[in-house]
Amino acid sequence: MAYPELRYPFDETPIHADGQTTVLYQGNTIRLDETGSGAGLLIRPEDLPGVNGFELKPEGACFQDMCIPLSDRFFVAEDGRQWFDLTAFADLLEQPYVADEDERVWSFGEIPVKRESMMVDAMAPDFEVTDRQGNVVRMSDFKGKKTLIVTWSSW
Amino acid sequence: MPVWQRILEDINDPNFVIISAAEDTGGEAVAGPIFDAAKPSYVQIVDENHIISSAFHFVNVPSAAWVDEEGRIVRIDEGTYAKVHEIGEGDQKFQFGTDVYAPAVKDWIAKGAASEYVQPPAAVTGNIRALSADQHRADAAFRLGNLFRYHGRKEKAERYWDMAQALNPDSINFIRQNLTLSEEGSAGETFRKVVGDYAKEGKAYYRPLDLK
Repeated sequence: MAYPELRYPFDETPIHADGQTTVLYQGNTIRLDETGSGAGLLIRPEDLPGVNGFELKPEGACFQDMCIPLSDRFFVAEDGRQWFDLTAFADLLEQPYVADEDERVWSFGEIPVKRESMMVDAMAPDFEVTDRQGNVVRMSDFKGKKTLIVTWSSW
Repeated sequence: MPVWQRILEDINDPNFVIISAAEDTGGEAVAGPIFDAAKPSYVQIVDENHIISSAFHFVNVPSAAWVDEEGRIVRIDEGTYAKVHEIGEGDQKFQFGTDVYAPAVKDWIAKGAASEYVQPPAAVTGNIRALSADQHRADAAFRLGNLFRYHGRKEKAERYWDMAQALNPDSINFIRQNLTLSEEGSAGETFRKVVGDYAKEGKAYYRPLDLK
């Protein structure tokens, strides 16, 4: 199949509003109103759950029943504010990313530790996508049912 | 797509779900009419960013994972055809697909873990592709390219799509997605060369379909 007319059907529009930063993760597009100005991507600690599901707790950065202990180096003080170094955290987790720093866009790949249960125990990964009716669909929604996940394309 | 709907209706088990994901950056414009023609009652995803393929480490379509009630994968990454298809005419006519996959799915739904088609976890994990850090990074690059495309930024979209293909040259999905959005299309000379090179290098974009 060939759809050359669909290669660039969209007009040029801003990626985000002035001053914002965009983060891509697992199909989600997250706009951050504020980020730090240091090297890497420094985010407000309270934005972390909305970015990748991790939450900062006294024992570390936690996702479900897993907590990653964090040293002080993940927290950056700047102009009297504290930022969380998201890129240092990604490096710690060996999470790949690609950044277009000119446009302030950061695209993150999957976090390896979240995939371990698939690679070791064959447990299905808990993806999150939106169906054609606008419903959020997660693998975990179908626990208790047999599920056939089929990919195809119009190609 | 209509075939999967018929299979869903034949099985008629409220505890069986089909999630059908179109790996199509072209989006609803290209995948929507195909879905609509099938009049499906299963879950329909237009997966512009190839999230499902990325999650299960698929490199081509059609592919699939069977997931049991506990969330465990019991088969994965095989050429998932619901029947034998025939296209072209005369000397150009050729067949692809298989008639053995759908009966195996039905057997699994009927018998559960007792089905001969259910694979043990070690066999399943052996069939899940172990991707390198660069191959995972390719997914991030591909989605960045898609974001720039959506905002009409051609030069940057091309840059990150090229990066994705360079980081994960095993992804037939990335290669064909790119070709699909070009004049040449997804089944032209470039694609035939890619498939030929793939075979020469001893690589396979599906796991062997060892069904009876």
